Amino acid sequence: MSALTFTLKLKPDQRVDMSPLVCHKLDGMQAAEIAALTLQNGKRKIRVDELFDIAGSDAQNIVIKNSFGKLDFIGKELDGGRITVEGDAGAYLGLGMKSGEIEVSGDVGIYAACEMKKGFLTINGNAGDFLGAALPGNKMGMKGGTVLVKGNVGERAGDHMRRGNILIEGNAGDYCGSRMTAGTIAVMGQTGKYLGFAMRRGTLLLWNQPQASARFNDCGAHTLAFLPILFASFKKFNSKFADGSAAFNRVQRYAGDMSEMGRGEVLVKIG
Amino acid sequence: MLTRLTGGQLFDPAQGLNGTVQDLFIRDGVIISELDSGVAIDADYDVSGKIVMAGAVDIHSHIAGGNVNTARLLLPEQHRNYMARKLGHAFSTARWSTTETGYRYAQMGYTTVVEPAVLPANALDAHLQMADIPIIDTAGLAILGNDDFLLRLLRAKASQNQVNDYVAWTLQATRCLGLKVINAGGANAFKSNVRSFALDDVVPDYGVSSRQILQTLQRAACDIQLPHPVHVHCNNLGLPGNVDTAIATMEAAQGLPMHLAHIQFYGYGNEGGRGFSSAAAKLIDGFNQHRNITMDVGQVLFGQTVTISGDVIAQYSRRNDATPNKWVMWDAECEGSGGAVPYRYQQKSFVNSLQWLIGLEIFLLAEDPWRLFFTTDHPNGGPFTRYPHLIRLLMDYDFRLECMAELNQEAVAMSLLKELKKEFSLYEIAVMTRTAAARMLGLKDRGHLMPGAIADIAVYTPEADKEAMFSAADLVFKNGELAVKNGVVQQRRNGATQMIQLPFDRQIKRELQAYYDRFYNLSLDNFKVEDVSFRQADSERFVSHDAGQPYSACREAAANTIYQ
Repeated sequence: MSALTFTLKLKPDQRVDMSPLVCHKLDGMQAAEIAALTLQNGKRKIRVDELFDIAGSDAQNIVIKNSFGKLDFIGKELDGGRITVEGDAGAYLGLGMKSGEIEVSGDVGIYAACEMKKGFLTINGNAGDFLGAALPGNKMGMKGGTVLVKGNVGERAGDHMRRGNILIEGNAGDYCGSRMTAGTIAVMGQTGKYLGFAMRRGTLLLWNQPQASARFNDCGAHTLAFLPILFASFKKFNSKFADGSAAFNRVQRYAGDMSEMGRGEVLVKIG
Repeated sequence: MLTRLTGGQLFDPAQGLNGTVQDLFIRDGVIISELDSGVAIDADYDVSGKIVMAGAVDIHSHIAGGNVNTARLLLPEQHRNYMARKLGHAFSTARWSTTETGYRYAQMGYTTVVEPAVLPANALDAHLQMADIPIIDTAGLAILGNDDFLLRLLRAKASQNQVNDYVAWTLQATRCLGLKVINAGGANAFKSNVRSFALDDVVPDYGVSSRQILQTLQRAACDIQLPHPVHVHCNNLGLPGNVDTAIATMEAAQGLPMHLAHIQFYGYGNEGGRGFSSAAAKLIDGFNQHRNITMDVGQVLFGQTVTISGDVIAQYSRRNDATPNKWVMWDAECEGSGGAVPYRYQQKSFVNSLQWLIGLEIFLLAEDPWRLFFTTDHPNGGPFTRYPHLIRLLMDYDFRLECMAELNQEAVAMSLLKELKKEFSLYEIAVMTRTAAARMLGLKDRGHLMPGAIADIAVYTPEADKEAMFSAADLVFKNGELAVKNGVVQQRRNGATQMIQLPFDRQIKRELQAYYDRFYNLSLDNFKVEDVSFRQADSERFVSHDAGQPYSACREAAANTIYQ
């Protein structure tokens, strides 16, 4: 069986809600039924076959070709299976994803991996603001799984994050790890202002020294035995994080945010 | 424009009509008496077999103002911006947007709604929001009793006349219809770290008691001839044993008219193993002895809601019960305070079940729809959209039993609701939600179907399931225009805001100008409601009503005993 492939025929002016096109919803559906599904497009509804050429039949392996930045809610609440996006993806990629895998070749919009519960999300380009965050008004962001970003991420990455890993090969914007309750964010590049703002618990693992903050206390240099174990868990990824030369176990430790609970930690690579 | 409704069963307590079949005529937005034969009718509606009532009047529902906006901001999850826009315009999926407020009320046959807590400093905001509510008419009640200016007057032992002028000026400046007092002095005391405040407690630094503030304002409302009695949110809201506070407040009214709001939250005893019990019987006993008192219920209905109140002491004390876990408290400069705490009433909860039972006990024990009004204190006890459900509870004993089976049985065992077999009639519903409500507010032009009334009319199809019946009216006319047909809004028309016209001594204005210049960051002009660019001209936006004798329920009831 070949992958169920949606090839975008035209770029609509208004945004498209792609949430009906996920593996668990399309499983067992005939090609004609899928073609007749409607997607919300701005304030109109549009048939799937008006927007996409459809080929293949394996609903557990969906490919979206010619994708661009106005296709929102790709992989919403995905429960098993794999979605491959060739091109960019819009906002809310993998919103509330339960399991399975999503890979995007290009950039993604805001709120990627928002309130994600489990699974694996790879973004080969850049990600927008609020990566792995909570929806406005909610108090729990990403609750599990792993997000790997090969480019840069916007502001507020991991806002209200609860559990899971966010691995960033590039730079992170301002307020990285803000209001985090728990979980791990690793950033190989630079970080912006207000790192760990109102962070309660959780770990920020950094390769570069962040801007100093009065809200974090310097706890000195440490050799941490858990770091080699953490790096070993990254070995399976197709990423710089899997490279043995990226690993370290000697860090400067900062605890904060002291205006909150203060049990979060920022670990910065030494040497 | 001449409109006729033919063959409907009229329920109009003002005329003693209890299902009488009679035609109704509307000319240019006003109900008129029967016509001579041969006059051409422009629009003819056959409503035979249907129920015809005046448009309903909600005396207490928080639909506009600072607290309402705070709640909207606090709970974005209640109005996720879905792409599909159900009503075809911006914000139509918001809970509760001004549009949805107007539409949903109109669909149920409501045509006038009172926002009962307009903080004078926030009056402009409240009015801008009310101006944005389509279809229905609105009105505000201005809050006094925690403001520094009044407490200064009392501390300085100012004359009652000065207070009267201040109250009259406030109602004019805020363009409100009546006077609201919330836990008199409590919000001010909260600023001095007081965390519980009873009727005879004294506000620190001012040396005046809650009772003194309340009685002074009540006297002012009578002196300036406010038709709507002072609208009181008592002390100790929600505390076990607070029925004594409610009774003491009735005593404190000294025989003068007073309205006690959302009284369900004061029907609590402190008996039983959990120290929380129903005191509805005791409350109603007091209510029957004090004929000068009117009350509304503030029924609790199960589900998610948000409590918003200017009673910051009560709100602060329940902040740890917030569901979801987030809340806002605020203090206003020189005026009151308040807070928004989201809350979910649950059937499995002993306390929530008992609150539900107590509310219904009050409804059914009171047996006087002329003095007891129908509210959920929207959104505090439940959203106004659930009114049809509550009407069914009142009109259907078997449905009550069904609902009781779902509750916490420990609470049910403590309640006498099973013994109360009374079922409200359509006539009594019309009294409670129409005629008495409009009269108590001093709105003579509505709440009835007599010639001269504005043509606010609701037509329903009789059904055994009263919830279905009252959820979607067949026809709703607002000022004679067809606003709703078969439960669907036909046109987005503007409502008007009702206010009271009162005289006062101009001297008070000079004193207030000086006070604002000294104590506020903004000039008095910034708070003015006039000369603001409402979409409508001020003359269309505001409708003035005359001062007059306060509502006296016993008099109304006596005048209406001719029916039945």
